[in-house]
Order: sequence, then C-alpha cells, then structure tokens
Amino acid sequence: MDAGFLMGLLINGLVIGVIYALVAIGLSLIFGVLEIVNFAHGEFYMLGAIAAYFLVANAGFGYWPAVLVVTLVAVCLGYVLFEALLGGLRGESFERSILLTLGLSMVLQNGAVFLFTTTPKMMTTPLSYATLTLGDLRISVVRLYALGLGLAAFALLYVVLYRTRIGKAMRGVAQNRNAALMVGIDPHVVARLAVAIGIGLSGLAGAALAPVYAVHPLMGFAFVFKAFAIIIIGGLGNVSGAALAALALGVLETLIGGFLPLVMVDALAFGAMILVLLVKPHGLFGRGVRV
Amino acid sequence: MTAAGVTVAGVTVAGALRFLLPAGACAVLLLLPRLTANEYLFALGVSFATFSVLAGGLNLVYGYTGLLSFAQVGFFGIGAYAAALLVTEQQWPFLAAVAAAGAIATVAGLVIGYSSLRLSRHAFAIVTLSFALLCMIVARDWVSLTRGAMGIPGLPAPVLNLPAGLSWRIASPADFHWLMTIFAIAANALIYLVMTSRLGRAMRAIRQNEALARSQGINPLAYRLLALGLSALLAGLAGGLFVFYLTIVDPSVFDFYYTETMLIMVIIGGAGSFWGVLVSTAVLTVVPDLLRFSTDLRMVLYGVILIIVMLVFPGGIGGWLRKRGVARWRSVRVAKS
Repeated sequence: MDAGFLMGLLINGLVIGVIYALVAIGLSLIFGVLEIVNFAHGEFYMLGAIAAYFLVANAGFGYWPAVLVVTLVAVCLGYVLFEALLGGLRGESFERSILLTLGLSMVLQNGAVFLFTTTPKMMTTPLSYATLTLGDLRISVVRLYALGLGLAAFALLYVVLYRTRIGKAMRGVAQNRNAALMVGIDPHVVARLAVAIGIGLSGLAGAALAPVYAVHPLMGFAFVFKAFAIIIIGGLGNVSGAALAALALGVLETLIGGFLPLVMVDALAFGAMILVLLVKPHGLFGRGVRV
Repeated sequence: MTAAGVTVAGVTVAGALRFLLPAGACAVLLLLPRLTANEYLFALGVSFATFSVLAGGLNLVYGYTGLLSFAQVGFFGIGAYAAALLVTEQQWPFLAAVAAAGAIATVAGLVIGYSSLRLSRHAFAIVTLSFALLCMIVARDWVSLTRGAMGIPGLPAPVLNLPAGLSWRIASPADFHWLMTIFAIAANALIYLVMTSRLGRAMRAIRQNEALARSQGINPLAYRLLALGLSALLAGLAGGLFVFYLTIVDPSVFDFYYTETMLIMVIIGGAGSFWGVLVSTAVLTVVPDLLRFSTDLRMVLYGVILIIVMLVFPGGIGGWLRKRGVARWRSVRVAKS
C-alpha cells in the first residue's frame, strides 16, 4: 500500500466532503428554521456551477471573481425565493412546501436542460492543470481552493451563528419558534436570512467545484438526494451534525471508490441513512426534540 | 328546487348520473377495441389504465393518510423487475409471476413504512424518496441479477389460462388495452371501496387531526401501513402487467419522471378526491400527447402548474370544487331560514 496514494484519496475525500457539507448545511439550516425541506436546493448548486462556467468561459472572469459574483447572486436569489414562494409557508404545511419546491426544481432543472442541453461541459481556468507537489504527493490546486473556500465558509457561518445577535436569533427560532417569538424575535427576518445563507452556500459549492467536475444541468438532482441522506444521518435540523456526516461520507466514498467497485459508492449514503434510521431514528447527532 | 333535486321513480337525477357516468366510461373503455382499430388509442388506453392505478394508490396514501410518498415508482419498478425475472429466469406462469410481483412490492412497502413512520412524516417523505433512488441504483448496478443498464429485453407474450380449457394469448395492442383496462377497473374499484368505507373515514380522520384520531382509538400506524401496503400491492401488480406490454424492463422504469407525473395528477385532481384524480389522470394522459410538447418543456410547465396550484388552491381542483359545493350548500340553508 502506497502512503501517497492513500493521502491523495484522503484529500480528495475531504474536498468532496466539504462540498457535500456546504450543500447539506444550507439544507439543514433551512429545515431547522423553517421546518421545510427544500427540494430545489440542488438546482442552486447546479445553477452556481453553470453560472461560474459561463462567467469564466464567455465573460472572461477569473476563478476568484466568478466564485464571488456567483455567491453574492445566490444570496440575493435566496432572498427573492423566500419573499416570492417560501415566506407564506409554515411548519404544518410540510407536504405543501415539498411540492412547492419540487415544482421549482422541475422548472429550474428542465429549463436548464432546454437551454443548455445535457452535454457536460468542462470549465477550464489557467489554474486547471496547476498542481502542488509535496514529496511524492501531487494535488490539483483547484481542489485545494475548493477545500479552502469550503472551510472559510464554515468559519464565517460559525461566526455568524455563534457571535452575532442575528445568529443567536436564528438558533433561537430553530430551537423553539414560539419562545423566540415571545422574546421579540421576528421569525420572518430570521427565516429570510437562513434561506439566503442556505442558497448562497449552495451556489458557492457549485462555483467552487465547477473546475473540478463536469458541469451539466442534471448535476444538482443527484447531489441533493445525497444531501437529504446526510441531513437525516446527521439529525434533521442539526447543522454541525450535517457537516460531520458530510465530511465522513465524502472521505468514506472516496476510500471505498479507491478499492471496491463503483456500485458501493452510490449506495453508501442511502444504505447508511436507512441503517441510522433503524438504529438511531433521530440521527447520529440528533437533538431529540421536535421532528 | 334545483335540477339536482328532481326525482324520477324515487331516484334522483344526480344519483343516476353518479352511477351512469362511471359505468358508461367503463363500457366505452372496454368496448374500444370493438369500435376502432386505431392502435394509438390503445396505447393511450394502456397508459391511462396504468397511471390511474399508480395515481389512485398515491391518492390513497397522500390524500387520505396525509403521507407524501415518493416510493410509488419504486413499487412499480420492483413489480416490473420481479415479474420479468420470474418469467424469464424461473419459467413461472404469467399470473403467478404477476401475483408474486405484487407480493414482493407489498413487503417492500410495509418495511419502508414501518421503519420510517416510527420517526415522523418528514422522515417518511425523505426515506421513500431515497428508496426510489436506491431501487434505480440497484437495478443499474446489480448487473448479475438485473443485467444493469441493458435491461431484460424480449419478454414473451403472456398466456392467460381461462376456465373451460380456453387460453388467451395477450399479444396485440388491443389485448393489452383490455388486460390493463380490466385490471385498472378492478384496482380503482378496490381503492374506491376502501376510501368510502369505515377504513377511509378513519384514514381521513388521521390526516385531519392525528391526536384527535388517536383519542378515538384509531391507531394511525396501522391505517397508514394499510394504505401504503395496498398502494404498493396495486403498483407492483401494475408494474408486473405493464412490463409485458413494454416487452423490456430496464432501470428507466424507476425514472423520477413517473413520480413527478403521478404527483401532478394527484395534486391537480385534488388529493383525497377519487373522481377528481381519475379525471385529471385522463386529461393529463391525453392532452400532452396531443400537444406533442418536448419533454423538457412539458416538465417545466408541470413545475409551473405545481407551484401555482400550491400557492393558489392547495386542495387542487377537486378540493376547490368541494369547497364551492359546501359554500353553496351553506348559502341555500341560510336563504331558507
């Protein structure tokens, strides 16, 4: 067994895990605050990747400006999405929220197929072929950037959630909506911010990963189901649980993919989810309250 | 006195219509191969029959017990694969293979339901979704059993052994139209019976207020499992029959497209409204085919319809009509007093 090969697998796994985490954290945050499951979440990941591709390929943007622009636009889209569609929903209309966001996902996904066709595209930046060499280990630079961007986003989210008033309010609403209302927190404002952050993280994940994998309109569809499995494993509505489950899944998938047939990789997330539901129904890091 | 109140020999006109319309529709569907030789119509008939069973089962689960299930397509595909494998690999007779397909799908439905309903409605929705996706992954990747993406082609034309030594070889589109129509009528009749019986009322009570239903001695889990098991059985049987019409089964039988179409049929028809869903299934089977949309644009349109219905009439068209009926009934009462 070659240690360099193992190291390479581990780093690739971490990169994928961080990207899973970005998508799953947004999903979990939105569920925690609004009690709705956003089916269209993966489509924003897809739109982020496609937007980054066009900014770089057609508008002459560099990698960093493209990531920044896409993330900001995604945050704004989150605001619009909340005001236009999700604002009127409440926890008791859970099925309605799923159907509503499923409709949105169908529009975005099939609209993207219609406009861009399903042909995968590779985003090439001047960084695409750059590698970092550490001893006998060679790592592609864009993967490291994706890893760095993800970790930076986690740090920022941690600061917002645990060091600011609005973050405290957000945690308060997630813990107990009525109690939060009683102490004067406006759930509407908090929910709007949660959706904006969630969609923003999803867009960031898409843009950051665009140079690593092929970009196509169906990429969000497969991704969001894994994110669902991750938030169940981590405990519905538990943000740090989702992050840990995502990192673990990314690393495990890559390690398994390095040694066993590919079949096992796709089934791993779902198999783990069903196992967790049977053994520990509230998720590995479940809160044990609500849900 | 309104037109609906007119009575002829003790039978109200509305009551007669309520019986005559479905009976007439069944008669037309069954006699279709005698009226025309147009194979395109038979294809539409098979499609309508299949979707009416799938959407009817979903309506029972979602409209009556309030559980949003994405697993229906998984049961359909499991039924299709089970029947195809039993006939080609084990040389089972047609009917036995279809019955086994239904039984396997039912077991899958009960296992999925039992493991996820212990937690919450939220978990149920996500688990059923993952189940449907897992089915597709298994069908694609377990190559030694399912032959992967190649699928199992060239299924033989089924032969039904009828009493009195007769046998019916189901090969032409007209034969399949008959087979699927007879099955769909029986399946929908069963769904109708469950919905209008004491069972259906208990299920509706659970949907409206679970705590209140519990206090009346109704065990929600039992009724939910019953609805889920029945819908899985019917979907499995539908898959087992439909696969012989296709003559091939491959992982695309688990396509999410089926789920989206079924959901749209139930939502537009109005979850919980038997006739509403049946009518919307008929309309949505025929109309997109006549318009010849590209599939992408059709799904965009379905998505837009789904968003609008959810925002404007959450009860679907059926629910909206029912609400109007109640409002009219109330206003008549007020005018009399």
